[in-house]
Amino acid sequence: MAGASSVLEDSSLLSRLDRGLLRLERLFALVSGIFVFGLMVLAVISVTGRNGFNEPLPGYVDWIEAFMPLIAILGVSYVQRSGGHIRMDIVVGRLGGRALWAAEWLTTFAILVLAVALLWGSWSHFLRSFDMGAPLWSRDSSIDIGLPIWPAKLVVPVAFAVLIPRLVLQLWGYGRAFLQGLDRPVAVPLVQSAAEQAAEEAEHLAARD
Amino acid sequence: MDPIEIGLGVTGALLVMVVLGMRVAFAAGLAGLIGLVWIFWDRFDYAPDRFGRALTIAIKTAGQVPHSKVSSQALSLIPTFILIGFLAYYAGLTRALFEAAKRWIAWLPGGLAVSTVFATAGFAAVSGASVATAAVFARIAIPEMLKIGYDKRFAAGVVAAGGTLASLIPPSAILVIYAIIVEQDVGKLLLAGFLPGLFSAIVYALLIVGLALTIKGFGPPVTGFTWRQRFESLPPALPIVAVVVIIICFVYNPFGGDAWGTPTEGGAIGAFIVFCMAVFRGMRWPELKDALLETAKLSIMIFTIIWGVLIYVRFLGFADLPSAFSDWITSLHYPPLLILVCILLAYAVLGMFMDAIGMLLLTLPVVYPAIMALNGGEFVSAEESAFGMSGPMCAVWFGILVVKMAEFCLITPPIGLNCFVVAGVRPDLSVQDVFRGVIPFFVADAVTIALLVAFPAIVLWLPSLA
Amino acid sequence: TEWNVSVWGKRRAFTEHIHKLAELVEEKTNGEFTMNISYGGLSKNTDNLDGISIGAFEMAQFCAGYHPDKNRAITVLELPFMGVNTLAEETAVSHAVYAHPAVAEEMANWNARMLMTSPMPQYNLVGTGEPRDTLESFDGMRVRATGGLGEAFKAVGAVPTSVTSSEAYQAMESGVVDTVAFAQHAHLSFGTINEADWWTANLNPGTVNCPVVVNIDAYDMLSDEEREALESSIPEAIDYYLSNYGELLQRWDSVLEEKGVTKVMVSDAELEKFAEVANPIHTAWIEEMTAQGLPGQELYDLVNSTLEDTRASN
Ligand code: NA
Ligand code: NA
Repeated sequence: MAGASSVLEDSSLLSRLDRGLLRLERLFALVSGIFVFGLMVLAVISVTGRNGFNEPLPGYVDWIEAFMPLIAILGVSYVQRSGGHIRMDIVVGRLGGRALWAAEWLTTFAILVLAVALLWGSWSHFLRSFDMGAPLWSRDSSIDIGLPIWPAKLVVPVAFAVLIPRLVLQLWGYGRAFLQGLDRPVAVPLVQSAAEQAAEEAEHLAARD
Repeated sequence: MDPIEIGLGVTGALLVMVVLGMRVAFAAGLAGLIGLVWIFWDRFDYAPDRFGRALTIAIKTAGQVPHSKVSSQALSLIPTFILIGFLAYYAGLTRALFEAAKRWIAWLPGGLAVSTVFATAGFAAVSGASVATAAVFARIAIPEMLKIGYDKRFAAGVVAAGGTLASLIPPSAILVIYAIIVEQDVGKLLLAGFLPGLFSAIVYALLIVGLALTIKGFGPPVTGFTWRQRFESLPPALPIVAVVVIIICFVYNPFGGDAWGTPTEGGAIGAFIVFCMAVFRGMRWPELKDALLETAKLSIMIFTIIWGVLIYVRFLGFADLPSAFSDWITSLHYPPLLILVCILLAYAVLGMFMDAIGMLLLTLPVVYPAIMALNGGEFVSAEESAFGMSGPMCAVWFGILVVKMAEFCLITPPIGLNCFVVAGVRPDLSVQDVFRGVIPFFVADAVTIALLVAFPAIVLWLPSLA
Repeated sequence: TEWNVSVWGKRRAFTEHIHKLAELVEEKTNGEFTMNISYGGLSKNTDNLDGISIGAFEMAQFCAGYHPDKNRAITVLELPFMGVNTLAEETAVSHAVYAHPAVAEEMANWNARMLMTSPMPQYNLVGTGEPRDTLESFDGMRVRATGGLGEAFKAVGAVPTSVTSSEAYQAMESGVVDTVAFAQHAHLSFGTINEADWWTANLNPGTVNCPVVVNIDAYDMLSDEEREALESSIPEAIDYYLSNYGELLQRWDSVLEEKGVTKVMVSDAELEKFAEVANPIHTAWIEEMTAQGLPGQELYDLVNSTLEDTRASN
């Protein structure tokens, strides 16, 4: 299984776009991490409120459910950028040169097809819960305290709207590598052997031991 | 075309995409989407002018899944458990645990290796992920074992195997995922993992002691710690105990009386305590930011697989494949136990090539109903069931078996991730070395699984009290 | 014709009318019109209206309180202390409200058409500790109750606490809540009865309303014969549901006895006080709906008049 891998950089337009998008992606990932922390704080408030003051947090479950898309989906593109979504690399791990770039281009293109479809699907899921004419623009609300659900539903198409340019950049990177027969192209995650990958993971931990 | 044929066709396409190296999450999502289009168009008798309609329905159906499946209180345990592990590392709990284990039990034959096993088990009580546990202990425990003359391959094997305990002993992200897929009580499953995890650790320890007694030149026992030194090693490791006790009290109160809250709350309170410790030990915003980013990355990776696979599962629902498979399994004229063993063996083979979480998410929607049907259905009583346990208990038992299989796969070649991680941490060790060192633990794991199958009480005793 | 039907959970008293309907329709059309009932395979329960609107499946069950903003008009049926006492009354008021044009219009936004209700008994409390049978005793009580019910309990000083229905047992065991409001079958299937010391037999604070709807296009595409088979089977399916639930209610007393659960009777005076406290919730509901352009008062009066008519005809 391939985990994280490295992305090379240079001064080309492609690489500059890659880094520009990365800034946004990293921000989204940090939002995700902060909301994980928020989840913890919310539980502490809920438990102390309940046991200490007989004042449980109203709508505790509703709030958690509203947070979850921010935690789980918003950063999907950040993970894609570094090749962090798991896969089986038994086959691609053996490929090299143009064959490798062709395979990467094809599977990335397949992801793009899915991402475009899901952008459409999740947007229509959002639209069904959104109504300009209703109070709080809400046409779908949570079970306990009637929280409008459209903001949480909107997170999903936003995440895909960032994933799509990321995939386009990667297609560009792989396509360029294929046409020019490059060895170490920029702006795409490079396949690492399992050993390289583990070494990097170890290095990461070492940095803070 | 028969929906079941469509189901099989799309499942075949999914396997091809996965083998070709497409990210598992997206391959599953795309397979599910294609399957939905196919199913809906089939219902329109493949009329060309209605393809657009079928496509629209399929895309809108798939587009619901990411938001609606991820917005779940139970799933919120996963990022919390991951955060605990990262915070525990900053809180210095890892080294403290190893030091305490060393001073207390290293006098046994093969003592340092035994200490490593129990220290990993202790760390497992705050860490939800196996790979991270192996990586951390490779840095701390292997050098000490080498210093006193352990075979380097064996030392590496101990750490790789010890790391797998993190997914059985609660908190465990993978047990939560199992509970969600099969819609069973998360608290009961977490509780059920505790004894089998401890049991696995004891089997590992017995194996090491046995090897130390039979093989000449095995690492010597470490003696000479005074009682004072021993007791001094405890306070730094104590927070682990506190966290464990709190999580258990939130799931099921062993002191009698009411439990303190729900498992979700327990996980979060545990994380908060470890967070306070880490701050006390000097963690500041740069480190916290790092921990949060790492937590986000791992959580997003897991959640992407979850929603991707659930798009595929939604398609399976429309194709009715799971019930067809369970009808087929129950119609087989073999003893249920034999079928169960075959399924576990199939997991062992599959796990050689796949990631644990991906493997469970892809297979459980089909395999789990079959196992439940084999036992006699969801509502069967213990007396009338095939495995001698009620429906809900069978769900718990099978969950622990499957997770143990998934853990086993972390140390089997060719893709045993824990072994790669250990080899990565130690430049002087090749992956082949670690795989060779871990071989004895295959035997231990096989024994453990056989015993868990033969004596379900090891799994079911704790949850049956709750 | 083959219809996919999306419901959730496990097969239980709450879904029996759907199975009966499928059976009757298939019989009447000699197997021409069949229904595939899927428990959770086609959609998440809170997304069932979305699935109908997309056209992913043809029939579905949902509960109004899961997402009030999706179905504002029928939330009148979930107001506390409307005075509904029996399942027959619950069926009558539900079907009267479903037939109101405002409801049909709101459902049409989801491309849905009301077919029938899933009558639920009143959500009575099970609780631990000393029985609570006066308004004062509700003060500070942590109760698992959602929507309008939650508000009614809040009005008398209780603290509505959110846990999902599947976590309700654990929440009660762990003292996160002292009491849980459910219908009887849910107290049984979620195990809250096992933890209980007492049950309020006659508090009858209100219930949830869970209709069964069909996709309008699918309904229009039925042949006349099929549509006739469907419509004519509804009363029979509901009757089957009522008699089946009736058996469960008869068993209920023996379940209470077996588990050693005290049956708490709340005095009429206390009930009246409670209903009065809940009155402002009714007024607020009517105002809110009117402000949104829904005939709030009309729907509210329709429930009351139907209730009177039903009682008069018995
Ligand atoms: Na763990
Ligand atoms: Na493996």
